[in-house]
Amino acid sequence: MEKTRATIVVVDDSPAMKTVFERGTEDLGVELRLFQSAEDSWAYLERHRPALLFLNIKMPGRDGLTLLRDLRELPLHKDTRVVMISSKDYAQDRTAASALGALEFITKPTPIRVITEVVRKYVKAEPV
Amino acid sequence: MSNAYLRFWGVRGSYSAPFDTHLGVGGNTSCVEIRIGDHIMLCDAGTGIIPFGNEIVKQAADQPAVRDLLIILTHYHWDHICGLPFFVPAFIPNWNITFFGPGHSRRDIEEHVSAQMRAPYFPVGTESWLANVRYLDPPKSQTLEWGPMSFSWRSVHHPGTTFGYRIKANGRTILYISDNECLFLDKSIRQKYGEFSAEEQALLSEMQREEYEAEIKLIEGADILIHDAQYSLEDYGKKRGWGHSCYIDTVNTAIDAGVRQLYLYHHDPNYDDRVIARIYDHTQSIIKERNSALQCHIAREGMIVDLS
Repeated sequence: MEKTRATIVVVDDSPAMKTVFERGTEDLGVELRLFQSAEDSWAYLERHRPALLFLNIKMPGRDGLTLLRDLRELPLHKDTRVVMISSKDYAQDRTAASALGALEFITKPTPIRVITEVVRKYVKAEPV
Repeated sequence: MSNAYLRFWGVRGSYSAPFDTHLGVGGNTSCVEIRIGDHIMLCDAGTGIIPFGNEIVKQAADQPAVRDLLIILTHYHWDHICGLPFFVPAFIPNWNITFFGPGHSRRDIEEHVSAQMRAPYFPVGTESWLANVRYLDPPKSQTLEWGPMSFSWRSVHHPGTTFGYRIKANGRTILYISDNECLFLDKSIRQKYGEFSAEEQALLSEMQREEYEAEIKLIEGADILIHDAQYSLEDYGKKRGWGHSCYIDTVNTAIDAGVRQLYLYHHDPNYDDRVIARIYDHTQSIIKERNSALQCHIAREGMIVDLS
């Protein structure tokens, strides 16, 4: 029987960041799911708990911090591992993310290797 | 005066500046009134909302319909809410005051608005307000209506969740973006460019383009743009990452987006009338050099923009 690969979900409206995530996880044996907004991701996240969830903050529609707060109200996401990834390098955003249980706060621009390192740190991946 | 207008009641950022040298521009913090007939919307509730409150109470003696007010908040930093404890209409029965701002729910918004009026910081809480006060839940559509006006919002680049509003009033599109650090990612990329591989540098160029397009999209179509222009180039160099724009970036982005009227707003309280006059002169040079039709103004307390 084929093993289910760990799923990494990214909610970020930047197409360039999509490439950063694809390159950063391509050798890690994980499944990557990308959504461009909180609204686009909601139907999936209401039913699935990824191994790791990356959230951008400033996006059209609900921002990443509001999305995280909404997710934390769902029993499914009470303990979901979340990493914020944003150009908003402000102490207030870091504090708000930490209060909502985000594990890390990565600032943009983000080197590809940082994505690889963070996924390796929090997800037990299957080598390809 | 027409009954369709926009009025600046407070134009300062950070803290009020009630100094002789500053009063040509004005000393109160953020508050803009948009009025179409008897429908009144207030953008932010800095100290500028205090004189507005006193004035509207006088008007209400003859015009009872103006006792119904909407206050939309960009965020909850002090300079945007500190007029509320002294906002007289809130303390009068039979006035209706509706709030909207960033938040997960109406309860969340209420909590943020109420937090500053608590002991030991203030002697009475919002429970002492006698007006009918309500808070709006954020709708999924991200659009709300207020009489003949409607408004939507987007997150902007400022600490914490901060909204920029797009308001439709009397056929005009008004953008109220009091606090926004223009093109912040672009500057981060330029600073760190050399640290990235060739492949990553190609992606960074793509990100710069995306961010620029997002800034343009935020403000395009504006008949009137009221935008953060807090810092000079020199001060921005010292305060980059504080969540406010250099006025040069604000003007250039407005030109690129084809904005018609730009009001530079959220002035630094350290800048007196002479400094702001120099900023104005420089904006006119930029507009001339770029051969743009943009009309750029300094937002001043008491200034009225006709919306008829």
